[in-house]
Amino acid sequence: MVKIKTENVIALELPYRERMVLQKTVIQGGNGPKAAIVSGIHGDELEGLYVCHQLIRCIEELSSRHPGALRGCVEFYPAMNPLGLDTLQRLVPPYETDLNRNFPGDPEGIFPERIAAAAMQNLAGSAMVIDVHASNIYLREIPQVRINQEFSQALIPLARNMNLDVIWVHGAMTVLEATIAHSLNSRGVPCLVVEMGVGMRITPRFCDQVVTGILHAWREIGVLAPEVEIPPLTHVPLVADDTNVHYLNADTSGLFVPTVEHWTSVKQGEILGKIVSPYQGAVLSEVRSPISGILFTLREYPLVYEGSLMARLMEVKS
Amino acid sequence: MKPRSLLDMTAPCREDFEIPFHEIGDPAKPLSLALVAGIHGNELNGVFILSRLADYLHGVAAQRYPGVKLHHRVLIVPAVNVLGLNLRMRLWPFDKTDINRMFPGFDLGETTQRIAAAVLKATREAFYRIDFHSSNLEIEEMPHLRIYDASEGERARAESFGLTILENPIDAVLTVSLIHAWKQYSGENFVLRGGNAGELQLEHCERLFHALLQFLHSVKILSGGNPPSIEEETHQFGAGQNFRLISDQAGFFVSKLKVGHWVQAGDLLGVLYDGYKGTVREEIRAPKNGLLLGLRRQPLVFQGDLVARLLIRNRS
Repeated sequence: MVKIKTENVIALELPYRERMVLQKTVIQGGNGPKAAIVSGIHGDELEGLYVCHQLIRCIEELSSRHPGALRGCVEFYPAMNPLGLDTLQRLVPPYETDLNRNFPGDPEGIFPERIAAAAMQNLAGSAMVIDVHASNIYLREIPQVRINQEFSQALIPLARNMNLDVIWVHGAMTVLEATIAHSLNSRGVPCLVVEMGVGMRITPRFCDQVVTGILHAWREIGVLAPEVEIPPLTHVPLVADDTNVHYLNADTSGLFVPTVEHWTSVKQGEILGKIVSPYQGAVLSEVRSPISGILFTLREYPLVYEGSLMARLMEVKS
Repeated sequence: MKPRSLLDMTAPCREDFEIPFHEIGDPAKPLSLALVAGIHGNELNGVFILSRLADYLHGVAAQRYPGVKLHHRVLIVPAVNVLGLNLRMRLWPFDKTDINRMFPGFDLGETTQRIAAAVLKATREAFYRIDFHSSNLEIEEMPHLRIYDASEGERARAESFGLTILENPIDAVLTVSLIHAWKQYSGENFVLRGGNAGELQLEHCERLFHALLQFLHSVKILSGGNPPSIEEETHQFGAGQNFRLISDQAGFFVSKLKVGHWVQAGDLLGVLYDGYKGTVREEIRAPKNGLLLGLRRQPLVFQGDLVARLLIRNRS
C-alpha cells in the first residue's frame, strides 16, 4: 500500500492564541517523479478542493488494485489560503491582499510572502504542478488551461491530453509575474493553471473531467505506471489566444439574464441574453454575439455594472 | 453649478454615478497640473487635501486672496473611487478590484478599466502629475514624496516640495498603476503619501498641503502672497535604504512613538504583548539608526507582520 501522510508546510502565529497552518497531503509510491496539485489560493474558489479529494480517492483505489500504480510521489495543497477559505474570503484575511500576487514570496517577509515562499520551497523539484482555480463568483468557466506564451512550448504538450475543453494561450501583456504559475515556470518547474466552474460552488462533472485529465498527465510523465488503467479521455481542447477570443462587456447596468446555455455554439448576431432593470418592465439592452463561435465564459452573478464582463466567445480556429 | 465629471455611469440599483473634478484656471491655457486622490476609497488624507486645495484655488481664481495669482490651468480629482470612499472601502466595492491595478485602463472594458481609462485620459495631458496616497489601515507613514525611475527633471523638482524623498521604494513600479501609466507620457510625475488609511490626520494633511503650495509657487503655477517656507530638514533615500522591520512573533503591538523622527539602533520602537496572558513577548527595538518612515497602528500582529519601516542612511 502507498503511504499517505499529512504534513505542515508552514505554521504562523495569529495575534490571539491560534495559528494559521498550511498543510499538504503526500502520497509516496516509488522513486519516480513528483507531481503536485495546488488549490484554494483564492478563498472563494472551491472546485480545486474537490479535485484534490477525488484524486486522493483515485490514487488510493488504483494503488489497492495495482500496488505499483504510483511510481512517483503526489502532493496535494488543497487549501493554500486556509484563513480565506474558512472565512469565505477570496483574499488573505485580514490583509486584503491576493496571495497569487505574492509569489515567489520571501521566507522572512510579511505573512502572505512567507506562505508563498514556503509553497515555492516545497514545490521545488516537481515534474508538474497544477494550480486549480474556479474563476470567481461572477463568471462560469468551461474546464480550461491558461498558459503564458513565454512557456507555451513546454506546457502545451502537457496540456493537450488533460481532458480539457480549451487551451488558452495568453500574450505577454496579460501575464502577472507575481503568480505561483509564473514563479514556478520561471524556475523551471512546469506549472499549468486550470480554471473551471464558478466561485463558491463545486461543479462535480467538471471536477471529474479534470481528474481524468490529470491522471492521464501523471501517467504520461511517469508518476503513474504506464499499465495503469484509467478512464478514457472524453474531451479534446480547442486552442484560444489573443486573436480569437472576444469579450462581451455590459453596455449598461442592471440584471443580466442569459438566454443561452454555457458552452454552446452561437451565430453572429444571435441573442445571448438581456439586461433588465428591477424598476421597470422594458429591456434595457439586448446582448448579441459579435461573432460566430463558442461561448466558453458566461456570467453567473446577474448584477452588472457598465463594463462588467458577461461572456467570452471563441472563434474556432481551423 | 453641477461639477464636471470624468465619467458618467449607470448603476444596477442606485442612482447613476459620476467622478466629479475641478478644473481651475484659464481654460484656453494648456493643462499644467493634474492632482488625483482617492483611487483607494479609504485613503482620506489625500481627498481632504485636494478638496481644500480646490477651495483655495477657486478663491485665488476669483481674486479672493489679494496679490495671489493662478497662472496655469489645474485639474483636481479629489476622489476617483467615489463609492469606495462613501462605503469606507479601499477597493471598488462591486467586484473588489483595485483601481490602481487597472491602468492604463480600457474604455470598453470592465468597469474599473473604464474608470482608469477616464482618469488617465483627463490627466495625461498635464505636465505635472501628482497622485496622493495614504498607507494602508495598519501602518501610519510620515508625509513624504515618492519618485519612480526619475528623470533629472523629476529628481530636481522633487526638492521643491520640501519633503523627505523616497526614490524607487519598491523593486519595480507596478506596470498597472497610475504612476506607471503617467510615465509613458512626457512630463513629471510624483506620488505624495502620508498617514494611514481610514483616518483623517490633520497634522499630516497640513504638512502635505504646505508642501503642495510650496511646489505650486516653485513651478510658478501660483505667485504672490506669502508663499510658505518650511524650515525642516529633508532627506533623500534610494531603493536600498528602505528597511522593513518584521515581527517574528504574534501578539498585541503598542507604541508611543510618532512617525517622522530619527531613532538610534537599540531604541525601543514598541512592545509586543501576549494578548491572552498579558505578558511581554518582545521589546521591539530599532536594528539600525534610521528615520521612522512608518509605524504599526493596528495593534493585532500576525507572525510575519510589518511593524515599522526605517529609512537608513548609507553606512549608518
